[in-house]
Amino acid sequence: MRTGRFFLAELRKTATLPAAWAGIAVALLGSAAITVLNAFTVRGAVAAGTPGMVADTSAFEAGFAAMPIVGVVGAVVVGVTAIGSEYTADRAESGGARQISTTLAVAPQRLSLFTAKAAVVLTFVALAALLTIPGNIALAQAIIGDAGTETVSAADAVSRSLGTALYWALMGLLAFSITALARSGIIPLIVLIANGSVVSFSLLLSMLTPLAHWLPDLAGRKLFGFPGEFVLEGGLDPVPGAIVMAGWTAVMLVVSGVVFNRRDA
Amino acid sequence: MPEMAVTKGGLVLAELSKLRTLPLAVLAAAGTVVLGAAISAAMAATGLRESAGVVDAVLASVPFAQLGIILLGILPAAHEYAGAQIRTSLTAVPNRMVFLAAKSVAALMAVSLTAVAALGAGLLAAVVTRSATGFTGAGADAGPWALAGAALYLLLTGLLAYTAALLLRHLMPALVVMLALVLLASPLVGAATEHARWLPDRAGSLLYLPDTDPVLSAGTGALVLLGWALVAGMAAAVRFTSRDH
Repeated sequence: MRTGRFFLAELRKTATLPAAWAGIAVALLGSAAITVLNAFTVRGAVAAGTPGMVADTSAFEAGFAAMPIVGVVGAVVVGVTAIGSEYTADRAESGGARQISTTLAVAPQRLSLFTAKAAVVLTFVALAALLTIPGNIALAQAIIGDAGTETVSAADAVSRSLGTALYWALMGLLAFSITALARSGIIPLIVLIANGSVVSFSLLLSMLTPLAHWLPDLAGRKLFGFPGEFVLEGGLDPVPGAIVMAGWTAVMLVVSGVVFNRRDA
Repeated sequence: MPEMAVTKGGLVLAELSKLRTLPLAVLAAAGTVVLGAAISAAMAATGLRESAGVVDAVLASVPFAQLGIILLGILPAAHEYAGAQIRTSLTAVPNRMVFLAAKSVAALMAVSLTAVAALGAGLLAAVVTRSATGFTGAGADAGPWALAGAALYLLLTGLLAYTAALLLRHLMPALVVMLALVLLASPLVGAATEHARWLPDRAGSLLYLPDTDPVLSAGTGALVLLGWALVAGMAAAVRFTSRDH
């Protein structure tokens, strides 16, 4: 029950952080912008009689294109902010303290607190996924209309959307654990945002050794379910990949939880 | 006691010593050099084996090295606002334009030294990796001008990050905006529309990847990136001189 009360308190705390909403806004508005660009490109190509210029004219694919990059960054920002904000030092004239001291004075049961915070990250990322994924597909559908040909079946669309939400949730929790260990959001933010983009360290590492496919971000990448010709060859299939990624997340959460429980604030 | 003359050179040295004593700035500079060398070595060992030589491997490390440069560019402006230091600084140097000019010179010096060191370390690492793996580049390698272009690109990117931080005043928002601009907006917009060439990093990348765009050249691309930095810089300068801190 204690965790439940902490959860509500942490939920309210996180909801007052502009950066947490910035993370949701990145996922929602950033991907909407890409979807609009994509959908108009598809519609324009069909209207001009050159649908061969685009990969396909599926509204699902047009609305889904930003999910592996922009949505992941939104989840990372939420995960980093939820715990990183506790360690930001106040201004010198107001004592230079960090919020974590107050938090731990009010809620000394550290493991309950940590669990509650992780649950808050999960809640925020779930909210972002719930709004963003169906919203973008509907947006693309509205713009493309009858001009496109849907190549993705309804069952595929649902499983790819759920896979995406799972990937976001796991990345959000990974970002949360890494930031809890680092006690600062700066380096986790740079590394994780870079890794979610084309400038990916794990992608580069995968050229050096196939072992890199077992890193969390590469292991889970087939959860997005893109057709084989658009993704890097090799790596784990969706279900084993998801299990490996979830394993990394669980280990990182346990390690950061134990460290959070044991060390000085 | 003789009166100490405050010279402009002294102000630049003061700003440089602030940066030198900021652990995160030292970490960002050292990290950029280590990252540049490690990634150049990785590129030389793998992806470019079929193509040309060591300079190409170094150029492929620039998108990674710019991450450290962005952080290093943000810090000189942002750390003043992580507390009350900006008011101490302005008490010591009440002329805001002079203060801003000295800080900008110091920031540019730190960024350009780091950029040159990162590219130099990358070149060394790539040469060593190539000889260790017994591969001799026989194809057409990009010339030394491309390396100079990469240094200028990193310098201008650091300048843009610095002006963005001056405008936004805080580390995290400036960091997220710069990373989103360079890592997210650029590839995603680039996939959807050709107008992405006017984004700062796309235009600037022509400095080290010349002749890859039908509209912009290396020179005009650099001017576009410089234009972004100048617009942000002017807005930041107006805000800095006219507003409370």
